Amino acid sequence: MNVDRQMCDEPTDDCSSERRIGSLPPRHRKPSDSPATKDRAPTWVGLGMPEISARVGGLIRQGRPLLVVLTSLCQLFDAAIKGYSSSVLLLDRTGARVRKAVGSGLPAHYMKQLEGRRVSWIEAPFGATINAKAPVILLDPVADALPEGREPAAAPGFRLHEVSPILSLTGEPLGIFAVYQRENSPDVTRRHSALIQQFTRVASAAIERMRSDEALKRSEALLERTQQLSSTCCFSWRVETDEINWSKELFQLFELDPEDAPVTLELLGARIHSEDLASFREMIERARRGVSDFEFEHRLRLPDHSVKYLRVAAYRTRDQEDRLEYIGAVQDVTHRRHTEEALTKLRAELARAARITSLGVLTAAIAHEVNQPLAGIVTNASTCRRMLATDPPDVEGARETARRTIRDAERASEVVKRLRALFCKKGVTNESLDLNEATREVVALSLSEFERNKVIVRMELAGELPRVQGDRVQLQQVILNLFLNASDAMGGVDDRPRQLVVGTERDGEDSVQLSVRDTGIGFEPQGLDRLFNAFYTTKSSGMGIGLSVSRSIVESHKGRLWATPNEGPGVTFSFSIPCGSQDVTAAVTDPHTPGAIRTAAATNAGDRHVRNL
Amino acid sequence: MTAMVERPLVSVVDDDESVRESLPDLLRELGYSARAFSSAEEFLASDCVGETRCLILDIAMPGVTGPALQQALKVGGKTVPIVFITAQADEAVRQRLLEQGAVECLFKPFSDTALFEALNIAFRIS
Repeated sequence: MNVDRQMCDEPTDDCSSERRIGSLPPRHRKPSDSPATKDRAPTWVGLGMPEISARVGGLIRQGRPLLVVLTSLCQLFDAAIKGYSSSVLLLDRTGARVRKAVGSGLPAHYMKQLEGRRVSWIEAPFGATINAKAPVILLDPVADALPEGREPAAAPGFRLHEVSPILSLTGEPLGIFAVYQRENSPDVTRRHSALIQQFTRVASAAIERMRSDEALKRSEALLERTQQLSSTCCFSWRVETDEINWSKELFQLFELDPEDAPVTLELLGARIHSEDLASFREMIERARRGVSDFEFEHRLRLPDHSVKYLRVAAYRTRDQEDRLEYIGAVQDVTHRRHTEEALTKLRAELARAARITSLGVLTAAIAHEVNQPLAGIVTNASTCRRMLATDPPDVEGARETARRTIRDAERASEVVKRLRALFCKKGVTNESLDLNEATREVVALSLSEFERNKVIVRMELAGELPRVQGDRVQLQQVILNLFLNASDAMGGVDDRPRQLVVGTERDGEDSVQLSVRDTGIGFEPQGLDRLFNAFYTTKSSGMGIGLSVSRSIVESHKGRLWATPNEGPGVTFSFSIPCGSQDVTAAVTDPHTPGAIRTAAATNAGDRHVRNL
Repeated sequence: MTAMVERPLVSVVDDDESVRESLPDLLRELGYSARAFSSAEEFLASDCVGETRCLILDIAMPGVTGPALQQALKVGGKTVPIVFITAQADEAVRQRLLEQGAVECLFKPFSDTALFEALNIAFRIS
């Protein structure tokens, strides 16, 4: 061992005074560098240990940076013992490297070169003191040759006198307190171990205190940031005394002046929206009884008449004195509520737009339905007039055409009656219906749409199809929607026939299935799940309302609606509904017999049994 | 049978039964012989295609539509004058059909005079 050192677990002046320090050739040279202190730290001379502790504590309480505090500590040491200079090497979190070196009176470049180095690499005494967790007293530090590549332990003009580990309460190394003796110092024999230990302890307390302050500040800053990010604030409410503590964000949230503290329930009540005040008070009363945790949403009416939505959640607890206390959080949900409101409004607008769109389709269909019999009427009447104008008049022919005129007029009137029934209808009806017949009617209504889109339609209706129970108009709307979707999906298809096949068939014992197959653009497999979402659409002009509404109609008939990609191009949409007797969306009140709930069970065409329950 | 020769045949193709019942009678009153078919397929399968001097054709029909029948006849080299009839009053469709060689496109309900004029044009062409 080149470095002769002595370890003292409990160093005292007596203990160290017995040690002799190795001879050292005096080099009467002053430090050429300016002192390492950059911070303007206060300088005190001739203070006792209690005062030193108090001064350092004062600096910490003032919130001075740790390095300033430690520099001051070194200055105090240097002032206490003439001819000595001290430094503190602050270690990083791992305790293996020097993070910062501060001191007064030691050359700056020497201090600088220590920073960032591994403790074990600087010089044996430093590593040894950390490893042993005990002071190392140097007897002859310079006379012995240093291991190759290692930094000199002493600064030029100084010799290392004693190093002491600065340990935390749990024994973790925080730093090193190093004391140097000036080379021109006359007294090389005196030891100062006891004083060095006291300074080491003050340094340890200072570093620990500052570190925990820093950790607290960091966690407070983190909490504050989290609260800002989530628009949340915390509070506690001691029910017995009505003492309320809360984070400062709540002042902002309630737009209260922090000067208004302490916060009272009355102060908060003044901000609550008048319509929510009753429920707020009720909630407070319930909370006072302490039966459960609470959670509620209310509005604030702020001085500028703007409205905020708050969500409050608190859980019940007991303080140290076993008194009821609530700890909770308040979240500003205004933005979310506004978004929800906007979304609801948008949805209503979209639904209205979808209705108008289908109304346009419907109007065209109505014109078509009415014009057909009108054409018959006009043609028959014209023929009738011509037959009567001949000589001799063709009375028999005229009578026949007149009969047909009347029949066509009745047909037109029937169409109008049906349309009126369609539009006057409130809610759903439950009737026995022939799905084939319903399908044929929708095909007739859609022909002009198909013609416009150059769609060839083919019907493959089952010959024997049991009747189903349900709302005819609603189911026809579903079929119409499937037709329009299929027609739209084939709008851009030019390399193959645009063919729509509508088919009906039995689905097992007690269900009837209807399928609409197209040769359109189809959809991606991943689109399948989203297909029935209210706002999913592959059409640039579409509203995407149809399929989700269709699905809900089919489901209200206790059936299901699904889509499958074809083997060739296009998609097949199918729905299946049971043909047994069941109610559609619960039961429907018969408008003619108020209060009576009607279910219709039918077996054959037109054979309807109405039962009053 | 001489009457059949003198009276040129006008064929009506319409899926609507009222039209199929009423229109042939009116056509006969106007001096033509008339046949009615419920679909394009039925007309094409009949022996009247070659004999028909004028076709009164509904636009929107299940299966083969009116314009599709027009295309099929054109492809088959049969240039029979066509008067379209439709219950869907769409001027754009009418213009398109006229551009593609239709004699006329009548919106239902149409008057006997409008039909008569359209037929006159058709027979002037043929």
